[in-house]
Amino acid sequence: MSVASIQRKRRRETYLVFIALCAFTFVNLMPLIWAVLTSLKDPKDAFTIPPTIIFEPTLKYHWEVWFENDFVRYLKNSLIISAGTVCISIPAGSLAAYALSRIPRRNAGPILSALFTIRMFPHMLLAIPFFVMGTFLDLIDSYLLLILALVAINQPFTIWLMHGFFLEIPRDLDEAAAIDGCSSWQAFRIVILPLARPGMTVAALFSLLLSYNEFLFALVLTGTNTKTLPVAIASFGGEDITAWSLSAAGAIGIMLPIVLVMLALQRHLVRGLTAGAVKG
Amino acid sequence: MVRWQRGLWLFFLPSFGLLAVVLLWPLGYAIYLSFFDYYLGSDVRSFVGLGNYADLLTEGRLWNSMWTTILIAFGSVALEFIVGFALALALYRLHQSAKVFSVLLFLPHIVTPVVAALFLKWMLASNWGFIDATLLTFDIVPPDWLGDPIWAKISVILADAWVFTPLVMMVLYAALQGLDTSVVEAAQIDGANNWRVLRHIIVPALIPAIIFTISVRLMDVFRFFDIIYVLTGGGPGTATETITIYTYQLGFRMLEVGKASALGVITLIVVASLLLTINRVLNSIYRGGDQ
Repeated sequence: MSVASIQRKRRRETYLVFIALCAFTFVNLMPLIWAVLTSLKDPKDAFTIPPTIIFEPTLKYHWEVWFENDFVRYLKNSLIISAGTVCISIPAGSLAAYALSRIPRRNAGPILSALFTIRMFPHMLLAIPFFVMGTFLDLIDSYLLLILALVAINQPFTIWLMHGFFLEIPRDLDEAAAIDGCSSWQAFRIVILPLARPGMTVAALFSLLLSYNEFLFALVLTGTNTKTLPVAIASFGGEDITAWSLSAAGAIGIMLPIVLVMLALQRHLVRGLTAGAVKG
Repeated sequence: MVRWQRGLWLFFLPSFGLLAVVLLWPLGYAIYLSFFDYYLGSDVRSFVGLGNYADLLTEGRLWNSMWTTILIAFGSVALEFIVGFALALALYRLHQSAKVFSVLLFLPHIVTPVVAALFLKWMLASNWGFIDATLLTFDIVPPDWLGDPIWAKISVILADAWVFTPLVMMVLYAALQGLDTSVVEAAQIDGANNWRVLRHIIVPALIPAIIFTISVRLMDVFRFFDIIYVLTGGGPGTATETITIYTYQLGFRMLEVGKASALGVITLIVVASLLLTINRVLNSIYRGGDQ
């Protein structure tokens, strides 16, 4: 085959791939589009056969779910818990990851595998003792217990991710700092930390996402005072068919900040997803 | 050089201290609880040794949930892998517009799982859901997507695939981008068709990424909870009750925390041995294909 004919064939194939991908993406996003439409519908438009596509949109339900149904309070709970998790998880994880990136490889390897094994634990197995201990210590429905649980499941991921970032910062910098008389803490704080800040931002956003989305621990460890958004929406909209527009509005509202975080993370997405993949 | 490294172990303290207190201690406590007949709310707990394990392993409900888990796990991971791989190859082919597609296709994965499950519930709900409303327009009577034992299983697999295919796609797409394009082009000029390029050049180069995605997906599918909880709650009956849902029922609905802990330990053992086996099998296929 000549190079020109291969190129022509490739171009035709690429065109077909493009069309197929457009179709797939549209079908794949249908649940999301449908939810957005539902959240803007009055019940008379929501329950129709055939499904109504053109209607007069209303933001009434978006207003109602946030300001007349306590969702603002659940948002506050979600934010406190996510922020608390990030504030504990990232500093602790970064310190450990830095040390891991600086000790000899043969010592770091087993620690990294152990952390990867921890990632495998069924969350349900941890939720039970947390629930039992929380009941005894009267910590159910408090922010503290849920934050600690989220830190626990977050830590291995944070260390893995930050470890990769610290490896990219040359060791020579630490050594130069040491020669200039810095202790390892000073070297870390003055020389390394400023360089690691972009990596820490990425890790923080991922932890934020994980704790904002987390459902199981939030379900069993929170109560009426500390309920997070996922728990609220799950108990709110699932069953009652008349509340469709209302719960769709809530669901869309919960989704929006995540889309923003994702756009911010775009470049680092794959890195976060594969943290824990064995390199090489 | 040696001096500044000496203080380094102190850096591990906060993180490992936390892990010991909030992860290993609860884990140990759960294992300890698994040897007791313990109903949360009563003051007595009696030591039963392996009694909880024996009870669980001899009852039908555990095996039912185990098979359901395995069916859903392999069904969804297979589907995710095939579709995710196809999408990754398609993105790899496109170059310029790939970025827009990858963001749009990734959305279902990043949405809060509970919210994603609700989105799907509104698609699948009988009568007024989008799918039923559309089918009924054309006088096609749809099956009961969430109420029929078999369709409910299929719906759960599709839901898992909707949420996790983007993950598989992204990881494989990233791996594809690391591929040496000159090798692929050389093969094409030598007259290799797409299928042979895929089979003999692309797949072997992606093996590490493939092992990674399959292992991670299998280990996550065993703690798959939110989506089933919202979509079917394990029903109808126990048709979609996975081990995780069953553990939840035991521990948090019936408050049999001893028995639930034992089930958690069993899950851990199953997941660990499954992963070891899969890694070994995939690794040997990899080495075998190399020769």
